Amino acid sequence: MTLQPEDFWSFSEWLLRPGAFLESALLQGVALLILAVLLGLVIGYIVSAVRYGPGEAFYAVAGVLRDLFTRDLPGTAPRRVYALARLAFKEAIRRRILFVIGLFAVGLLLAGWYLDPTSDDPARLYISFVLTATNYLILMLALFISCFSLPADIKSRTIYTIVTKPVRATEIVLGRIFGFTAVGTLLLVPMGLLSYLFVTRGLDHTHTVASIEELGDGRFVGETSYDRFHRHEFTIDAEGNGLAESERGHRHVVTKVGDEFIVGDPEGALRARVPQYGGLQFLNRQGLPDTQGIDVGYEHIRGGYGSGGLSRFIGRTIGPRRIEHGYIEGGTLCAAIFTFDEITPDKYPDGLPLEMKLRVFRTYKGDIVTGVRGTVTVRNPQNQAIESEPFPFVAQEYQVDETELPIEFDGTAGGESRTLNLFEDLVDENGHVEIVVRCSDPGQYLGLTQGDVYLRPRESTFGWNMTKAYFSIWLQMVMVIAFGVMFSTTLSGPVAMIATFVLVLLGFSAESVYDTRYYIDRGQTMGGGPIESLIRTFRQDAMTVELDIQSTPLKIIQGIDSVAVYTLDAVVTSLPNLPKMLGTAEYVASGFDVFGALLLRHTVTTLGYFILACFIGYFFLKTREIAA
Amino acid sequence: METDPVAVAERPAPTSPDATASQVVIETRNLSKIYRDFWGRKKVQALNSLDIEIRQGEIFGLLGPNGSGKSTTIKLILGLLFPTSGRVLVFDKDASETSKNERVGYLPEESYLYKFLTAEETLDFYGRLFNMSAADRQRRVDELIKMVGLERARYRQLREFSKGMTRRVGLAQALINDPDLILLDEPTTGLDPIGTREMKDLILSLRDAGKTILLCSHQLADVQDVCDRVAILHQGELKELGRVEDLLKVQDVTEVHARGLSEQAKAEIADVIRRHGGQLQSMDNPTTTMEDLFLNIVRESEERPGHRRAAALPPDASGNPPASGNPPANPAALPPSAESPADRSSKSSGDAPS
Ligand SMILES: Nc1ncnc2c1ncn2[C@@H]1O[C@H](COP(=O)(O)OP(=O)(O)OP(=O)(O)O)[C@@H](O)[C@H]1O
Ligand SMILES: [Mg+2]
Repeated sequence: MTLQPEDFWSFSEWLLRPGAFLESALLQGVALLILAVLLGLVIGYIVSAVRYGPGEAFYAVAGVLRDLFTRDLPGTAPRRVYALARLAFKEAIRRRILFVIGLFAVGLLLAGWYLDPTSDDPARLYISFVLTATNYLILMLALFISCFSLPADIKSRTIYTIVTKPVRATEIVLGRIFGFTAVGTLLLVPMGLLSYLFVTRGLDHTHTVASIEELGDGRFVGETSYDRFHRHEFTIDAEGNGLAESERGHRHVVTKVGDEFIVGDPEGALRARVPQYGGLQFLNRQGLPDTQGIDVGYEHIRGGYGSGGLSRFIGRTIGPRRIEHGYIEGGTLCAAIFTFDEITPDKYPDGLPLEMKLRVFRTYKGDIVTGVRGTVTVRNPQNQAIESEPFPFVAQEYQVDETELPIEFDGTAGGESRTLNLFEDLVDENGHVEIVVRCSDPGQYLGLTQGDVYLRPRESTFGWNMTKAYFSIWLQMVMVIAFGVMFSTTLSGPVAMIATFVLVLLGFSAESVYDTRYYIDRGQTMGGGPIESLIRTFRQDAMTVELDIQSTPLKIIQGIDSVAVYTLDAVVTSLPNLPKMLGTAEYVASGFDVFGALLLRHTVTTLGYFILACFIGYFFLKTREIAA
Repeated sequence: METDPVAVAERPAPTSPDATASQVVIETRNLSKIYRDFWGRKKVQALNSLDIEIRQGEIFGLLGPNGSGKSTTIKLILGLLFPTSGRVLVFDKDASETSKNERVGYLPEESYLYKFLTAEETLDFYGRLFNMSAADRQRRVDELIKMVGLERARYRQLREFSKGMTRRVGLAQALINDPDLILLDEPTTGLDPIGTREMKDLILSLRDAGKTILLCSHQLADVQDVCDRVAILHQGELKELGRVEDLLKVQDVTEVHARGLSEQAKAEIADVIRRHGGQLQSMDNPTTTMEDLFLNIVRESEERPGHRRAAALPPDASGNPPASGNPPANPAALPPSAESPADRSSKSSGDAPS
């Protein structure tokens, strides 16, 4: 999991984007709503102008707006919305939709056989699997239940008996959305529970002691049995308490009770670290401040862009928003300086639990197994002469290094060596502290981003984290249902489903559309737009070679392509960025607590699209001649 | 027939005064409906310049062959369709206004109900759409289930119901809010004879309770029994409108009912009629029936399309013999239905609206 800059935004930063208001989510939301309203009115006007003439059409459109604000919105009664929601709910239940839960359970059982048991990180595998599976399954179900109900009512004319009651178009749309949301929730909750059980049970195992050897001083070393494709080594101290070495992301407590050795349940496989991130500043080889760190030419990882907001919309391209790893070179003055704030004894009574997930880049092979060495130094941000002795560590690729920096340690204060106290000497009066990461192997590099070095003040529970991931799935579901109901007010069932499906697909491909546009903007040959890439597929050309076509046809193709890509970009920018929402699964799988701010952002986004869909659905339904 | 020795029907008085006094519930003004396809092209002119007023407390019948625009009229009144031109006012509000529905009940021509609900759930659901307390709703549901005779099927899903049973639920559903205006699209189809009878009684009792009822039906005898006024539509045009009793009087035929006349007296009466330039047709045939009236109008309209049958004009002027000359038609044989929409549209588009 690599966090992008926007992942660090607090909720209000995201909503308002101080300093870059064009990118603000609020602005984008409001602009989208206004745009949708205008578009709806213009289309409505044109359609009725064709039928009834321009003058009548004006009254018709104005009438709909007036009705919305003077009658339908104030007249919307929760009582009727509830009745209609209940109906939609009953309909789905009586159609035996709950069978899906049974199928899901069976699916999980089968999946248990296929998930690779020799995986290095079984927890990630299991969690990713269940979350992704439920996510897609629920979205598909949401698609099905939301798109067919209203068209079926219109086709079978049962809707006549509804709209001839004092029921408003708003109530029909809301009732449907709420009813299906209730159905979806009813499906999602047991799926969540089953998934939780699947993960916890699936990872649960124990070992027996395979070999044991007494060290003279009452301590023991030994090895557990080989179960689930791994074994642990362990040591037991003189009191009889021991801990096995970490293997496949977990360890076991081993205790000696009498003459017996007991291996406990796996621990640490299912985590929910609550990280505290700091600001990052690089120093270059000369020890001067640098924004980027050294670029070693690694490929850029996927993900990013995202919340460009309106600035994308109006065609102001922004450079790549995705984060790149900055590298620090060993044996030079290169360093990465993290500044953490709100460091208090209450929060960190036992010292600073520091975790690092570093990349390793070698200029010479050396010894791959030992990893690259580095140091961590704690420093006072205001008086840089006060700093700790370097704490050495060895960075292994794809592993989290966990170190607990104690409260008291050796260091230097203005050239004088003495024992320093974290809170007295190193944390300044604003509660800030600096942690400096350096690489000590000359010629080797350590790569990191802002999210890769963090403090971990506390740990949340895995169950709660799963709940948050499921909430995120729930939000996506609500969005799909809202769009499905919106389309089903005017289209027939299958067509509404396809329309919603296309929207969801576009939502999921947001990042690749952004990418394509970025490459076109930069004039970089990278597969090109839809037509060009189709040609490439046929000719089996690589993405990066110049297309071998005459220049005029090529210009035409690329011209059409850019129009298509810019249009898609605009469409995709106006749609919810679903991969971002799906990304919460990645947090859980990586063992990080899903940020509250992130969830809040998703919630507000969902609410925004919900309102949009309701409005459009209302407009469609209101202008529709039900019996025609 | 009554026991009066002699009853002589005279020319009717124009619309009775009490009718104008009560409040207008439905008013259509120059109401026309053209069905169009997706591209806005005309398919059918289903209704042409309809002007009717329905007053509070009356039972108004809409008659006409299949496809003559009856259901279209009802849907326009309900706001299910938007008029192509003209207006509909219901309780002085535009038909498109949702709030009028608080006082309206509608029985659609087929029962469009949720098949997965039970009878009770259905009524409960529709009840929830009105401003009713839970207790009121419960009471109303009980009452209606009893009224339509479905106590035994109360907890069964509608998918298991027979046609008539579904129809009964449909009726109960239309009455859930104790409406002031009730629109019944062919209320007696699918009902058994007892059900039909009960339906008629119900309609009358609703009228007595001050409700206004608009119904359309092909059961002419039923219409004759219950309706106060009728309108007859043909191909979307209003052909006849008036009080049932007035319409059924064959205006230029004098009926003489007498008892105990000798053959000689009969001959004398015949003589008298002949002397006054009249023609004795029959001495014992009563008034026409709704069915005869209906068949006449349809036939006439088919011969001379596009013209409203002038109420003052004697039927003879149109070349049709009076009603009594016709053999009683088989009630099962319905009047000829409208031609296919394509034919009709080409034909009616050529007609100037009257
Ligand atoms: N939704 C529609 N689209 C197109 N044409 C329609 C539609 N509904 C009705 N029509 C046409 O309008 C005309 C009037 O139909 P309407 O349903 O009002 O007849 P009706 O008098 O109720 O007939 P019936 O006695 O058979 O119920 C018919 O020609 C019919 O084909
Ligand atoms: Mg009909």
